[in-house]
Amino acid sequence: MSEFHDHNHDHDENLEAKKAARPKIEHNNNYWLSIDQYMQDPEFQKTVDAEFMSSPLREEEEKNPWARREFLKLMGASLALSTASCIRRPVQKIVPYNKQPEEITFGVPNYYTSTYFDGQESIGVLVKTREGRPIKLESLVNAPLNEGGTNVRSQAHVLSLYDPDRLTAPKKNIFNEKRTNKDTISITWENTDAAIVEELKKGGVYFLTGNIVSPSSQAVVKDFAEGFKATHVAWEVLANEDIRKGQLASYKTDVLPFYRFDKAKMVVSIDADFLGTWVAPTVFTKQYSKTRKDFSNMSRVVAFDSNYSLTGANADIRVRIKPSQQLKVAVAIAQELVVNQGRSSYAQNGEVKSWLSSFGKAADGLNMEPALVKEIAKDLWDNRGESLIVAGGLKAQTETAHALHVVVNFLNSVLENDGKTIQYKKSMKSSATHSGMVALLDAMKEKKVKTLVIHTVNPMFALPAKAEFKELLKNVETVVYIGDRMNETAHWAHYVLPENHSMETWSDAELVSGVYSIQQPAIKPMYDTQSMELTLMTWCFQAKVGPKRIQEFETYYDYLRNFWKTDVFPKVGKGGNFEKSWQELLQTGSVGDVNNSADGARSFAVSSMTELKKPVDAQGWELVLYSTSQLGDGAGSSANIGWLHELPDPITKVVWDNYASISLAAANKLKVKNNSVIEITVGKDKMELPVLVQPGLQDDVIAVAVGYGRTHVGAVGNGVGKNTYELVQVQNGQMVFAGAKVEVKATGAKYELAQTQTHHSMQGRQIVVEATLKEYQNKKDHIIHKHPIWSVWSGHQYNGHKWGMAIDLNSCTGCSACMTACQSENNIAVVGKKYVMQGREMHWIRIDRYYTGTPEDASAVFQPVMCQHCDNAPCETVCPVLATVHSSEGLNEMVYNRCVGTRYCSNNCPYKVRRFNWFNYTKKIPAPTNMAFNPDVTVRVRGVMEKCTFCVQRIKEGKNKAKLENRPLQDGEIKTACQTSCPTNAITFGDVNDPNSQVAKLFKADRSYALLEEWHAAPAVRYMAKIKNNGKEQIASASAHEGGH
Amino acid sequence: MMKRNQLILGDKTLKDITDDICQPVETLPGKGWVGMFLGAKTLLLFYIFVLGMIVANGMGLLGVNHPNGWGTMIITFVFWIGIGHAGTLISAILFLFRQKWRTSVARTAEAMTVFAVMTAGLFPLLHTGRPWLDFWLFPYPNQRGPLWVNFRSPLLWDVFAVSTYATVSMVFWYVGLVPDFATLKDRAKNKIRRMIYGILSLGWRGTARNWSHYEMVYLILAGLSTPLVLSVHTIVSFDFAVSNLPGWHTTIFPPYFVAGAIFSGFAMVVTLMTLVRIGFPQFKDYITLDHMEVMNKIIMTTGLMVGYAYASEFFVAWYSGNPYERYVFMNRAGIPGTSGDYAWSYWIMVTCNVIIPQIFWMKWARRSIPVMFIVSIFVNIGMWFERFVITITSLHNDFLPSNWGNYAWSFWDGALLVGSFGMFLTLFLLYLRVFPAISIAEIKPVLPVGRNDHKGGH
Repeated sequence: MSEFHDHNHDHDENLEAKKAARPKIEHNNNYWLSIDQYMQDPEFQKTVDAEFMSSPLREEEEKNPWARREFLKLMGASLALSTASCIRRPVQKIVPYNKQPEEITFGVPNYYTSTYFDGQESIGVLVKTREGRPIKLESLVNAPLNEGGTNVRSQAHVLSLYDPDRLTAPKKNIFNEKRTNKDTISITWENTDAAIVEELKKGGVYFLTGNIVSPSSQAVVKDFAEGFKATHVAWEVLANEDIRKGQLASYKTDVLPFYRFDKAKMVVSIDADFLGTWVAPTVFTKQYSKTRKDFSNMSRVVAFDSNYSLTGANADIRVRIKPSQQLKVAVAIAQELVVNQGRSSYAQNGEVKSWLSSFGKAADGLNMEPALVKEIAKDLWDNRGESLIVAGGLKAQTETAHALHVVVNFLNSVLENDGKTIQYKKSMKSSATHSGMVALLDAMKEKKVKTLVIHTVNPMFALPAKAEFKELLKNVETVVYIGDRMNETAHWAHYVLPENHSMETWSDAELVSGVYSIQQPAIKPMYDTQSMELTLMTWCFQAKVGPKRIQEFETYYDYLRNFWKTDVFPKVGKGGNFEKSWQELLQTGSVGDVNNSADGARSFAVSSMTELKKPVDAQGWELVLYSTSQLGDGAGSSANIGWLHELPDPITKVVWDNYASISLAAANKLKVKNNSVIEITVGKDKMELPVLVQPGLQDDVIAVAVGYGRTHVGAVGNGVGKNTYELVQVQNGQMVFAGAKVEVKATGAKYELAQTQTHHSMQGRQIVVEATLKEYQNKKDHIIHKHPIWSVWSGHQYNGHKWGMAIDLNSCTGCSACMTACQSENNIAVVGKKYVMQGREMHWIRIDRYYTGTPEDASAVFQPVMCQHCDNAPCETVCPVLATVHSSEGLNEMVYNRCVGTRYCSNNCPYKVRRFNWFNYTKKIPAPTNMAFNPDVTVRVRGVMEKCTFCVQRIKEGKNKAKLENRPLQDGEIKTACQTSCPTNAITFGDVNDPNSQVAKLFKADRSYALLEEWHAAPAVRYMAKIKNNGKEQIASASAHEGGH
Repeated sequence: MMKRNQLILGDKTLKDITDDICQPVETLPGKGWVGMFLGAKTLLLFYIFVLGMIVANGMGLLGVNHPNGWGTMIITFVFWIGIGHAGTLISAILFLFRQKWRTSVARTAEAMTVFAVMTAGLFPLLHTGRPWLDFWLFPYPNQRGPLWVNFRSPLLWDVFAVSTYATVSMVFWYVGLVPDFATLKDRAKNKIRRMIYGILSLGWRGTARNWSHYEMVYLILAGLSTPLVLSVHTIVSFDFAVSNLPGWHTTIFPPYFVAGAIFSGFAMVVTLMTLVRIGFPQFKDYITLDHMEVMNKIIMTTGLMVGYAYASEFFVAWYSGNPYERYVFMNRAGIPGTSGDYAWSYWIMVTCNVIIPQIFWMKWARRSIPVMFIVSIFVNIGMWFERFVITITSLHNDFLPSNWGNYAWSFWDGALLVGSFGMFLTLFLLYLRVFPAISIAEIKPVLPVGRNDHKGGH
């Protein structure tokens, strides 16, 4: 503020100086006009001054606003206004750089290798910046784990940088004595640091963080804890502590193993949604996709699913279960393998056999044919060493979670997977636990906590109210919150210290043991913020505590570099010059090898299993809380990102809400329909939720997503859905997210959910072609019904390029990363729940999800659909003003400037991929969110149609680059945004005119077909049929493709 | 040869006719008219407000969405354009066929046409996303290249068809009015009135030369208008028929649309004429029950024609074997296995357009003013729903089921539909007071003067 005043003052001084420098008008008293003049009467002087109002040297405007020049100006302006009458658009000037900044060429993006970390998983990415601002996260193909794959939240991450609800400076909350009311004031970093250091020196310091995978961060936290004798607690909702506990019990090693789905030919998942939300879904999706491409050696996935997860949707065989059946499933497989089929050395172990047998026939009561267990067991055994059984995630956080993991570990040991598809030496990094949080709560209860520093995690949101975190917080003298916004927890902290966004700060990540990745800042901190690490360093420096390294460095960057020099490179580097290694790291983004792990099989502690008590059979409704791939646990900043809320749930296609998913039978039993509100009671907690009838659910299951119902996240996310963490139960000191008993009743109320897709059957039309592996191997291209097509018109001639896209439905998992990537690349508007309900979402690419089979055992298929760039485009002929035209390279081009908005093109499009700007969406985007726009793509005004352009800006960029380098364009050089974001490489783009291009080859493949091919719009997008490896001769649900021939 | 009743009742003299017809124009309006006018005008002001809101805020106010790119505006456009058809049919085609009964209703039917086309014409212009750029729809030399319009687009044909139709029907109407304006001028009792009607009558003196030229021009214009009656709605139907969509892409559309247009147009003429007969009782001698009966016969006939078209669409959908088209029609009727979300609108349409007009098989119904009024209202409702059914049921469930979605009907849709009647009625009520509602010049030649009434024929 003071700076601002100074500036004003300067301005005034300048004016005075200018006035002083003006030539003085001398009055000659030798010749006088009147006595007044001669006497130099001041009144007369005024009239003389006013006489020549036109003098440019006079500053009289204030006194007389109708001075002549002003009058002329106004008259001219009003004349111009009255004759022109229309309001001209305001002139906006584009000002080039006065001085060329280093490394930045106007209009040319810069890329920085970096890492995106969401609390569970880290993935290597490229940050694309334009004129110094990050605009998109791009795929980093040489990232060691995700290999270029991205996910929904990483694609939306850029929007959280430009979130208008971020804190811009430190804040202090002043509370009344009871800490029930407060006042928030701004405070400077100096004062904050001084005050906090005083508090820290008093001892009793607890530092609560989320999962930290950054070795440098960990070092800072360790140094800080050492300096202030602080206790570090790491806690996450998605902690994966259950896996570590299971590992510890079974193998005496507390690790979160690195699962190798790429080496597994037979995968059984018991509620572990490894393609959606479990541990490292992007990495696992990448791994999984590799096993699905070669049909002679195709993997099989069996999913036991208690909600409808992405993993269930993509599984070859999906069995619906309820959470209390998870353990039974594992035991049933173990019984079949060890007891019935006598596999492995454990078959001789009487203790094991009797324990397994104590469950009776575990497979009874599961929704599957008895033969299926035999088949699964056989497949597992046949692929031993190359199979994998996984369990976990929120859905598996039941009372019997520990037993489940132990039995799963037992199975993996039986199947000799340990050390092969389960790597424990190269393990994943996870330090977060729920038990740590429980211990912290106890310490707060005992008033041991004097100062609590919380970093990013949000216990006030993610812990149920009955955990009494809010009340216990009153026992803490000083609460410091380090985070990016005034969220639910920060609201009750004394000091709220704004943290840098991850794109504003250096960091790193240990992806798996010995594999490190760097996180580079891509923009100078936009506000008065600093990284958590620097804050801790400052405190240590000021208090003069902790090891030398935390006090000696001025910035976290220096600390981090030093840490890499002393700790990381000596472990993984090839030795030699540090600078050289460092530069190489910045170039490649990572260091270390994933594959050189020589893990032997660990010995399974049989007692860990046989000591387990057999659980009692559960009856009645059961709760399933699950996290979504859009929001994750919802506790961070992602809940304020419009792109994520507007992204339809991959399965249910619902946006902007959470809801209670129940099966059709359950809905009939309760006499409710979609949008009816039911009241569910779990223990003492009651909650009203709208119903979504979800095919393929177990009839006792009520599945509800967590992460919604934020109250203090920002303008976008506040009040979206309900906070279902309130339904979490604590039983025997354990957080129970699933399997809790539920009472349900219908309330008769209605609450409308917004769905982007309301019809779920393909109506017997050939839309997604699906075949079993056997069917495909027997019939090859005859799995596709082909229509004879002829035309009287020879069609367009494409002499240069002819762009085409091939989409492999067999690879697509429906994860929807492409939708968000497209939104980011093409500046696509978010319209909100009300308008999605009216069918006005703007996505250029959408993922159609159809169900096949019965509503009880519905199987899902996915199909990304974007503009098909038809050769005989129906939209082109009907536009009266030629606003959509055909390019010489086969693109269907939309000319926004020419469009008057008749919407005829949309009506005539058989794929309905065109989106209309019903209102002026772009205008409503607040600053600084507009900085997230891609400058290569224009924003659209109201009243124009828009649609997928095949990323024409990228095509131009690629062509220009080749031209400048005077060489032909290489195949694969141009990649669309959806293509690069895809973790399974399902999308291939290229020149169909080049017979050697990948896309041209795929177009000729036997699985290739066009959507509505018989309609002969001749689309430039072709799909590749989906193959299910379920061992069946035929897709059970396939109904004959009707008519049309 | 069938014996015809007299066209004009009450043994009128030529003066009586002039006096009767000029009376509404030359006297102050009664309470009934003022009341109706104030109502219509308020509705018109509301309509202007609604249109203003839509232009200011965007098409998003209406229920149009994805996949229903067209909605109330296009439905109501086709509805009003259809209504306009009766006027030209009566004035041009019946003129050429020497149907003398047309004279009593021709003027008002033509006025209805002009106002209906004016009301309709606003919709395609305002239903665009950026109505301020609508002039781009017209081919004119420009500095953008020059950039021309797309002559392949049926919407462009529509622009030509509707604008031609509007122009020709307006000129035709005006030319017919010229001798009557001269009559009004001659009867004017004050200067201003005399001047206004004098200008409007274009210097008509009633000479033989005048009459000779007039008759020729009228005949030529009738000849010009006749193909337009068929072409306008044919081209409007092309908006649908030329596109790809199952339910739109059918060859039956042009005749089906024309029949439907005549059907709805006559229904509107009947509605208005019953009202005119109530408002101006002296017109009962000119617009007799015989006139009404003839029109009711046409309503019944065209009603059967659209009924045939509805049935034929179903047959063709089945016969084509095209699964998409089959689905659309089954869905329209709400046959189980389809979503049937809009089956109610289909059955409203069938009831109003096919079933209810069957009452006109009975002579008493054809000649009962209350019955024909109610039936005509039902036909108007049914014909609006016909366009609703065509537009929405085809769009809302098309090729890919993932796109399927219902029309998001909003307050503004209803306001727009109701408001459009405000515009039409305001214009029509004003017309009744300033223009002679029956052609004086054409009525006089069809008087039975000099004919032997008892020997029939003419």
